[in-house]
Amino acid sequence: FTTSLLLGTTMTISSNHWIMAWAGLEINTLAILPMISKSHHPRAIEAATKYFLTQATASALLLFSSMINAWQTGQWDITQLTNPTSCLILTSAIAMKLGLVPFHFWFPEVLQGAPLTTGLLLSTLMKFPPITLLYMTSPSLNPTVLTFMAILSTALGGWMGLNQTQIRKILAFSSISHLGWMTIIISYNPKLTLLNFYLYALMTTATFLTLNSTKASKLSTLMTTWTKAPALNVALLLTLLSMAGLPPMTGFLPKFVIIQELTMHDMA
Amino acid sequence: MAVAVVLLSGAPFHGGCCRHKVFLSLLGPLLSNSKLYSSYRRPGAEPKKKLSWQNADFSFKKSIDHLKTQLSLLTKETQDYLQGPGGHPLSQHVLEQTRVLWQFRSQEDLNKWVISSDVEIGGKSKVYIKLGRNNQAALLYGTLNTEVPRDGETKYSGYCSMRSRPAVGSFNRKKYYDWSNFNSLYLRVRGDGRPWMVNIYTDPYFSHQKDDLYSYFMFTRGGPYWEEIKIPFSKFFFSSRGRVQDNQHPVWLDKASFLTLGLTIGDKVDGPFQLEIDFIGLLNDRAHREEFAYETYDKN
Repeated sequence: FTTSLLLGTTMTISSNHWIMAWAGLEINTLAILPMISKSHHPRAIEAATKYFLTQATASALLLFSSMINAWQTGQWDITQLTNPTSCLILTSAIAMKLGLVPFHFWFPEVLQGAPLTTGLLLSTLMKFPPITLLYMTSPSLNPTVLTFMAILSTALGGWMGLNQTQIRKILAFSSISHLGWMTIIISYNPKLTLLNFYLYALMTTATFLTLNSTKASKLSTLMTTWTKAPALNVALLLTLLSMAGLPPMTGFLPKFVIIQELTMHDMA
Repeated sequence: MAVAVVLLSGAPFHGGCCRHKVFLSLLGPLLSNSKLYSSYRRPGAEPKKKLSWQNADFSFKKSIDHLKTQLSLLTKETQDYLQGPGGHPLSQHVLEQTRVLWQFRSQEDLNKWVISSDVEIGGKSKVYIKLGRNNQAALLYGTLNTEVPRDGETKYSGYCSMRSRPAVGSFNRKKYYDWSNFNSLYLRVRGDGRPWMVNIYTDPYFSHQKDDLYSYFMFTRGGPYWEEIKIPFSKFFFSSRGRVQDNQHPVWLDKASFLTLGLTIGDKVDGPFQLEIDFIGLLNDRAHREEFAYETYDKN
């Protein structure tokens, strides 16, 4: 399954043709489903079903968008997406794939039903192909729609994560919030989106692997991990502060440059 | 098709007034709103009720009062959300080791529970619930009768149960609780020596799983002394439609939405029964390290 995930991701990020990109996304979706439902618990099956339905819908919308563009312009190149309807449909498809507001409702439930290692893959590797497609089509997309979704994602990701007691759900809302930061800058400086994504993937990987080693899935378990692995707990603390964007951690860098770029464009 | 032709052609022999009866007899099952599988009503089942839209009360004043109640509930929920998870500060959530879910001190507490017995399938058991002495406990009592109803379908009978009503928030939305901090169910009861079954119904997402239940046994001691029974959640086994399943898994309590707890007696012994319940709560027993008591079969 891991090989299929890598194959799907590589296919999508290296493709120029919409069909190849769609095929890569489908391979990714199908490959992660058995990993989500590995424990065969009803909640895991529920998470896998919710993931499949949303991702299949998003893939269908993506294909529909590319077909409209191909019908109007006669070509299937990813970077040549010019039809406005196609751009709008693609924006919603990518938002659904990533979990941007208002298509974010599936993400916390899916992450909660999946094991921690699969949650890591869902938060990092599965976000890579849609972010790449967003990067390649960013000049054609409507900045207003993207900005609106980004602001809502950042705000709702923060507010809805406030009263959560399950760590996977908190990290899901954190992911939604980070995606908001990535999306808001994509119309002005797409490279900052990639920088934000790479640093977010690094921090999230560190967090998930730490939680996996201590088998902590809820806040009360996290309270007692300092007795078992104090050094790891301190590292987790620094990683979480970095994810929050606190200077002088690395996580402050993308937020700072994004705000700087937005200020230059009179957006902040 | 041939039957329809024969019936229609035979209608003139019975007179023209009977022709509409022929049509109705043909189309009756389609026109009636009876269920597709069987229209047989069990002896203990209630007669066919009115349709849901016929029960609607279109009173304007009542609707305004109802709206006011729901809005006040919504306001309270928002205030609880600002305070912390479950309406309590985060420190309480992280540090608490016990929680009382249901205690029986007033009629209002009794109204949160529903009692039922095999009367609904035509049996003869009786069950009642009332407040105990000095309003300090609930008394569930009655008579178990294992006589099978003579309807040709039922093979077993003789059960009485008490189930909690699921908690709803404002506008009848499901309330979600996080019970993952606890690993045991704690009951303070005084029984009569008869065994009971504790059932947990977690509201599943899919309708295919609506018959899923997690159960375990509660053996009461009888006698004048109260007993405190701890049942770890790791002991609850999974069953569906009354049959214990081969694929067992532990009950997840991180999203205890619409969860109902039930106490059932069905030990196949005719006679009276009695159970006093002081309170039902949750406990985090740190000495209990077991994750799941039954074997799970790992596939792949």
